[in-house]
Amino acid sequence: MDGWLLFEITLAGVGTGGLYALTGLAFVLIYKATKVVNIAIGEMLMLGAYLFFSFAAGLSLPIWLAVPAALLLSGAFGALVERSIIRPMLGESPISSFMVTVGLASILVGLVELIWTADQQRLPEFMPAKHIVIGQAFVSPKIFYGFWTAVLLIATVLLLFRYWRGGVALRATASDQAAAYSVGINVPRVFSLAWVAAAMIAGVAGIVVGSIGGISSAMGVFGLSVLVVVIFGGLDSVLGALVGGVIVGVIEALTGFYVGGEYKLLATFTLMVLVLMVRPYGLFGTHEIERL
Amino acid sequence: MRIGSAKQSYAADAALFDTRTQQAWALFGLLTLLAFPFIASEYWLYLACLVAINIASAMGLNILTGYTGLVSLGQAAFMGLGAYTVAILQLRYGTPLIVNLLAGGTVAMAAGVLVGLPSLRVKGLYLAIATIAAGVIAHFAFSHFAALTGGTSGLSVPPAQVFGRELDTTFELYWVIVPVTLLLLLGAANLFRTRIGRAFIAIRDRDISAEVLGIPLLRYKLLSFAISSFYAGVAGGLFAYFFRAVTPESFPLLMSIFFLAAVIVGGMGTVLGSVLGAVFMTLVPELLKIVVGWFAADGSATPVLAPIRTVVFGALIVLFLIFEPHGLAEMWRRARRVFHLWPFRT
Amino acid sequence: MSIKKRELMALGLAAAATMALAPLAHAQKAAPKAAAPAEDIVFGASVPLTGVFSFAGIAIDAGIKDYLTILNEGGGVKGRKVRYVAEDTGYKVDQSMAVFKRITGQNKVSLYYADSTGFVKTVNPELERLGSVLMTGASFAKEISNADKYPMQFMVGPDYAEMVTILLRYIAQTKPGAKVALVYSDTEFGRDPVDAARATIKSLKLELATEIVTAPGSVDVSAEIVKLRRADPDFTIFHGYVSAPIPEFINQAKSLGLKSQFMGTFWSMDNTTVMKMGPAADGFLGVMPYRYYYDTEGKSPMLERIRKMRPEYQTSGYMQGFLAAMLLTEAAKRTLDNGNELNGKNMKLALSSIRNFDTGGLIGVPLSIKGNSIPIGRIYKADFKAQKMLPVSDWINLQ
Repeated sequence: MDGWLLFEITLAGVGTGGLYALTGLAFVLIYKATKVVNIAIGEMLMLGAYLFFSFAAGLSLPIWLAVPAALLLSGAFGALVERSIIRPMLGESPISSFMVTVGLASILVGLVELIWTADQQRLPEFMPAKHIVIGQAFVSPKIFYGFWTAVLLIATVLLLFRYWRGGVALRATASDQAAAYSVGINVPRVFSLAWVAAAMIAGVAGIVVGSIGGISSAMGVFGLSVLVVVIFGGLDSVLGALVGGVIVGVIEALTGFYVGGEYKLLATFTLMVLVLMVRPYGLFGTHEIERL
Repeated sequence: MRIGSAKQSYAADAALFDTRTQQAWALFGLLTLLAFPFIASEYWLYLACLVAINIASAMGLNILTGYTGLVSLGQAAFMGLGAYTVAILQLRYGTPLIVNLLAGGTVAMAAGVLVGLPSLRVKGLYLAIATIAAGVIAHFAFSHFAALTGGTSGLSVPPAQVFGRELDTTFELYWVIVPVTLLLLLGAANLFRTRIGRAFIAIRDRDISAEVLGIPLLRYKLLSFAISSFYAGVAGGLFAYFFRAVTPESFPLLMSIFFLAAVIVGGMGTVLGSVLGAVFMTLVPELLKIVVGWFAADGSATPVLAPIRTVVFGALIVLFLIFEPHGLAEMWRRARRVFHLWPFRT
Repeated sequence: MSIKKRELMALGLAAAATMALAPLAHAQKAAPKAAAPAEDIVFGASVPLTGVFSFAGIAIDAGIKDYLTILNEGGGVKGRKVRYVAEDTGYKVDQSMAVFKRITGQNKVSLYYADSTGFVKTVNPELERLGSVLMTGASFAKEISNADKYPMQFMVGPDYAEMVTILLRYIAQTKPGAKVALVYSDTEFGRDPVDAARATIKSLKLELATEIVTAPGSVDVSAEIVKLRRADPDFTIFHGYVSAPIPEFINQAKSLGLKSQFMGTFWSMDNTTVMKMGPAADGFLGVMPYRYYYDTEGKSPMLERIRKMRPEYQTSGYMQGFLAAMLLTEAAKRTLDNGNELNGKNMKLALSSIRNFDTGGLIGVPLSIKGNSIPIGRIYKADFKAQKMLPVSDWINLQ
């Protein structure tokens, strides 16, 4: 077995895993704060990519302007969604809030098709194009930088959770909403914060994913693979999103190379079923205890 | 104004159509269904058959999700299994319609039990996500067992055979699809007058309490999966006969979402809800086409029709969940109350 | 009021309602099948004006409309105008079926354009039952080449297997014994020509360096690039994609210094689609059965007419629709010339009698229709500086 080949494929997998981890981070933030399984995370990612596309290609803004503009608008959109759609569903069953995000996904896809049509587009290139060489292994530049963006963001979020008031408030709300209210935490503000942050992170993911594979109104299907990642890592664990993302990415890459590209989805979803049977709360997720 | 209807026997009390008015309406409905294919155009006949197939599948999903509380996003996968079974049997063995439909239902039922096994370990949304995996695995099986399923190009289904007679017009298929759907609906309504149905409802409301009361959870959850996927399998078989072609792309996750939306919009946990939800969700795109046609008669609005349809689909789900969580069935019930209590207000 | 009387009233109302509805429904049924003045020939279409294929659908729709305008201005088919009835399908099979049923239910349709392989397969038994329609469409699937199975359908160009064969013949001519890599998507569209491709590679004494299958909707192709780098082919053929992930493959391959040239099939070959790939698109090869809008070499009077009608660039989808309309109406014309009734069987026979037909330069050589496909194509190469696809071979005819 060629060691460098294996290493190269693993690196490719780790890189893709970074993309999954980034999207998984956005998902976990929402679940942690509002206990909503947001299946529309892929579509929010798509919105971020399209906003960047409008600013960078449509209005021809320079990259350093287009990216913050796209992220700001994504964040605003996240706040809007939280206020109008998620807030009214707060007391309802998790199935209802899940279905609401299903509806949201449909609305987003339709909106994108209305405004930008369903054609595939390419984002302007802004990342360096040279392959990075590690020993005898080549790594694609886009996923290399995408991976480090993911690590950076996850590290930032973990630090914020530890040391910033807002982060601590979010963790408090996540663990016990009623107690958070009683110690004076503005819980609705925490919800908004979580959704805005998640939308912005999804926007970053969208820009990275879009610059690799192009953008189209069908981009949201990326969110389904992220589901595997968060189940594996734990629905409410930020670190789990990174670890899960990397592991799923590596498994996908190895399956794709040694078995065949058509088996990738099968492999990851079978893994997910196994995880659900053996350890449903994932590697780092909190075990939910059901009380009567 | 109907004040009350006195019942003098248990059978009368548990009857499905208990008042004279209801029986009259049921008769009227039956007569309309009988007369419909003779007076409707080809296009409406096509829609009616499609609606009936969707009603059958939505009813199955309602049994699982609405009555037992197990959210499933795998309904399309089970339909696909039923459709492929029927297609393979009809193509290779030319077996009669009833045999094929039953076989399709049974294969789907077996798969349903398999998919339901994780419900021992996981609940709620985790189970829903596991059912998504079922869809992915089913799609893979359809595309890659090419010798059996025709691979990615799928199978062309020969017409259904009843007593040696081939059914290949929509008119003829109507007389198979609608009675089968009616039977399935009747079966579901009757199911919830029995112990099994009540056990399902108990599981939905509080499964731990149900277990305390002596309902074996795994057995009944698997039973619910089995019955629901049987319905999906039969609906899938009807789908195969109706569309005359099955491919792996015919049963995407979007279809499962469609049925879940139909159940939610229609009303979870009621037979009427399944019917109303399926009818509504199938006919809304057609209605949209007419409305958009009013606004731009020259066809300039056609490029925006499909995105508008997608947006409306999503908006319907969101609006119903926020404002009318019990769905169309609840709105229907409210309307009926107005008529029952008239001239008094509700 | 006693209960009995109210029941009778209710039943009476119900009966009255039913009787009122019946003539309404009858009226609705009697109205359609309107024979238009002077017996127009109806050309129906299920067009994907929205959805993933909309870029093609809108262009196809324009192409058909333009050709029919030219035809009707010239007097139509033997004095009969051709009327175009099309509806959007969003590239979904059940929508396409519904549109087909609606259009054929309301009009006497003779010619039809179908939007996808799935629809074409689903509608085939209906076509045989109706017997009155000759159909073509946007699908180039190999299965449709089977004239016994699809007696009333044909394709306006080579099927996907023939397209790949044309590419492989070009490779064999340019570099005998070359290493070829096949990259395709795991869909019906993508897998269609693969078996035939493998066989042709063997028969042309080329070498299949590697086969790469991508899952539809997959974003990152880095692992696949590793495979490609190890295989180091001379030519890489993409099939089953419109654009993504071809640009990413080419970008990474070029950055790695791979020597492979890249080739695509019809639906990746439109000029705007290729040029959108960026500078990496330079040198991208592919097979096109039609001339491009801006082609000026050779005599193409029809192309010049199109350029007059439409000053801005028209995509390959437009050409496909235009030619589909041309061939369908030609079949109708020949049927009427022979004094036969306009039905599917007769029109297909008339179509199969087409020999050395001049499309006005849209297809570079005169074509003959012997089976269900037209296996003619030319290799084009992308010149990024000129922002054009330029021809690099003669017209190759596989007949």
